[in-house]
Amino acid sequence: MNIGSTATLERVTDLRQRKILSKVIDKDTTISLEGRDPLENTMILNMGPQHPATHGVLRVLLRLDGETVEKCIPELGYLHRGYEKLGENMTYHEFLPHTDRLDYLSPMSNNVAYAMAVEKVLGLEIPPRAAWIRTMICELARISSHLLAMGAMSMDCGAITMLLWTFRERERLYDIFEKICGARFTTSYTRIGGVANDFTPDIIPMIRKFIDQFPAQLRDFEGLVNRNRIFVERVSGIGYMSAEEAIQLGMTGPCLRGSGVAHDLRRDEPYLLYDQLDFDVITYADGDCFARYMVRGDEMKESVKIVRQLLDKIPDGPVLANEAKQVLPGKVEIYTKMEELIQDFMLVNFGQQTEPGEIYSCIESPKGELGFYITSDGSGQAWRMKIRSPSFCNLQALQPMCEGAMISDVVAIIGSIDPVMGEADK
Amino acid sequence: MAIKSVQAKQVKQLNFWEKLYLPEIARGLTLTFKQVFTPKFTREYPEERFIPAGSYRGRPVLVEEENGERCVACGLCSRVCPAIAIEVQAGETTREKERYPSKFEINMLRCIYCGYCEEVCPEEAIVMSKDYELVFTNVEDAIFGKDRLLMPVSQLQDRLEFLRQYRG
Repeated sequence: MNIGSTATLERVTDLRQRKILSKVIDKDTTISLEGRDPLENTMILNMGPQHPATHGVLRVLLRLDGETVEKCIPELGYLHRGYEKLGENMTYHEFLPHTDRLDYLSPMSNNVAYAMAVEKVLGLEIPPRAAWIRTMICELARISSHLLAMGAMSMDCGAITMLLWTFRERERLYDIFEKICGARFTTSYTRIGGVANDFTPDIIPMIRKFIDQFPAQLRDFEGLVNRNRIFVERVSGIGYMSAEEAIQLGMTGPCLRGSGVAHDLRRDEPYLLYDQLDFDVITYADGDCFARYMVRGDEMKESVKIVRQLLDKIPDGPVLANEAKQVLPGKVEIYTKMEELIQDFMLVNFGQQTEPGEIYSCIESPKGELGFYITSDGSGQAWRMKIRSPSFCNLQALQPMCEGAMISDVVAIIGSIDPVMGEADK
Repeated sequence: MAIKSVQAKQVKQLNFWEKLYLPEIARGLTLTFKQVFTPKFTREYPEERFIPAGSYRGRPVLVEEENGERCVACGLCSRVCPAIAIEVQAGETTREKERYPSKFEINMLRCIYCGYCEEVCPEEAIVMSKDYELVFTNVEDAIFGKDRLLMPVSQLQDRLEFLRQYRG
């Protein structure tokens, strides 16, 4: 695509649209139906970006032969906010609230992933209680994200009751998040070197209460649709992805495990407390939409198991590392001590001073491998920040999955991939 | 912990009774019918109000004591704000605290309620209140000046206590 120096925005948009269209019809001209029977031609259908079943602003261009999808081109970028670039223009501390807005269905795990990446740059160790809290909130975020994936996919296939039921459980989780950090959605809970504040005493009973009633609710959800013939025949056998191709495309998370590849960073490269916990990696061999749906349901049960184990061993101690040069000091110390006051000003104005170098750090977020690649030039800001977002990589599978499927299956396939456009577009 | 070998599961095929579909319909309807007897989960909002806990991050406010605001206009909140919502201009007086903010504005359309201003404040002068109902009808109304930001310290006890106790 050659854009001259006189290019206007309209011209760029026009060129872009023409390029996408020529990609979907496999030739360089647009179709004309003049004087011919439309039924003998293939049809171009534009799904999205306002389609309710595309989970946000995903636009899919389809070439249809009757009801069969011949070609499918997903177009991303409608929610692009330039977070990688923003990360280069802010101190490490300032960028943290922006990570909430990547995968906005599990902001807690984004916070954890980002804080862990910066700690790796700085070479910081976090206290055991902070690691415990992070593991806990990661698992709660996983339950919350999988609940929505389960509900949204069922709703895409016609089971609207499921979405309402799963939202009720999510509401209970959001109540917990609100007590923990003060916000339901945009949590901004972790800090570099730990977490923002300790748990208040009423949070542990709240989590315990949720975990006690949740398995029964999950059984109800599964009883509603899992063995229902309409739902099962609607989703099984479509959107097939073989294990080899899933690995080649770089899929991670439940989508990869739904193809029978037992890859889970929590087990393969343990971080936080995961090496001390007992849980299974759920895999289904079928590789279709139903398998990916079942993986999410079973993973929630594993998360419940993990949270139960965590509740049995709560360590005491501080929640922020005691590292004056790199971690913001506690509030009371800022009010009363001169040194801490100076540190507060220095850290906020100039950011954490790091060694030059580059690191990659990743965690198993609910959608898959969420990684931050940070190149640091020794100043308080990242020189380059690359966000490896799982939704973006998983969406690459949409094209091979959709080809040959029926048009109504596209909705179920998108639901089973469970993309979050905030993260895919960044 | 040793890495366990994991067996990939296979999705179970529907059995004869499940294929008949009618028993499953009956089971699904039983599950939904049971919901009639569970307590209501939603809240009748304007009548039944939501009272947040001390950890809640609502609208940021300036703490007001008997002799005026605590703020000394150091500008740290304005520096740390990730959304660039705060504007501070310092003025000088002859009182014990020599500096005060002659202008303190928060653009509530930009504010993202992250609580960073409160976290870095060295004077405990800006804190997050419990106020979550914000309505404006035009853009000018959304820029809160000192007149709307100041809140007496007695109304903020919950939050101040939370900060001292759980933010070490």
